[in-house]
Amino acid sequence: MIVARIKSALWIVTAQAPFRKRRLVWIGKGANLLLLWILLIAIFCLNMAHAENLHPFTAPDDASRFQQLTKEIRCVVCQNQNIADSNAPLANDLREKVYQMVLEKKSNKEIKEYLVKRYGEFILLQPRLNKLTFFLWVFPFLALAGILPFLLRLK
Amino acid sequence: MQTIKKIIPFLILFALLGILGKELFYAKPNEIPSALLGEDLPNFQLPNLFSSKKVVAQKDLVGRVTLLNIWATWCYACSIEHPLLLKISEKYHVPIYGIDYKDDPKDAIAWLVKNGNPYVMVGKDRLGNVAIDLGVYGTPETFVISPQGKIVYRHIGAIDQKAWDEILYPLIKKYGNIA
Repeated sequence: MIVARIKSALWIVTAQAPFRKRRLVWIGKGANLLLLWILLIAIFCLNMAHAENLHPFTAPDDASRFQQLTKEIRCVVCQNQNIADSNAPLANDLREKVYQMVLEKKSNKEIKEYLVKRYGEFILLQPRLNKLTFFLWVFPFLALAGILPFLLRLK
Repeated sequence: MQTIKKIIPFLILFALLGILGKELFYAKPNEIPSALLGEDLPNFQLPNLFSSKKVVAQKDLVGRVTLLNIWATWCYACSIEHPLLLKISEKYHVPIYGIDYKDDPKDAIAWLVKNGNPYVMVGKDRLGNVAIDLGVYGTPETFVISPQGKIVYRHIGAIDQKAWDEILYPLIKKYGNIA
């Protein structure tokens, strides 16, 4: 609609100045393209604003906490994505749940514990150090210590 | 001594390949263990599918062994599981409670009328909040709830005859006297 209207306006300008027609038509085309770009960017910005508004926070602290947490929580149905990036229905629900808990001023630790209790340690993209994951954390150092004598002997 | 030294790297290699192979072919990445086993069933209250005035709550399930089945009409595996659920309620007399997960209540009622209703009560969880509280990540999922209201077992995916005969039914018999 808007594009069409501006096009016709440009057409009038070009029609009224026949001696400079060619050049103006060229400018008109450029303006059209520019307008399209501006529209696209505007739509994009609107979308961004919309995404922000899905989870409005009053405290900027909470907002950053929410961002951080959703990046650290695994989407359990699309297993190598976090819930911040995933659009799976369950990821949306989990995001919503995290949002609610952040609003309730639950600590990061409480939120993670709530999720681990229900979905297992697996839901955290970065496993915490505990009895189950002890070996996972210590193994690289053990392995390094194990091959160190061989490395030294090579020399 | 020398030959043993030569063999060792191969042994390590084969052990590694064995472990990786096992993970590759036999691991079940979808079966996320629930830490809720042995815990109390989380508190929930859902509107009844058949009449919005009534509710289905966690206290309804207490007092005898029950099954809590999370299902939906849009879920294909649920329709496969359905005949067995009917059989469980009719033949084995195990009370099954349903949570209709993210579903249109109209569709759900029509579906139960058409296919038969194995549930004592069905609660509708339109937003999926209760499902998250239970640690559900797909349908169908079935929890075995002890008379004390504790989660005893969680079955992921459709129940088949084998799972029923070998795991679920023995467990139910262990926790309560089912006629």
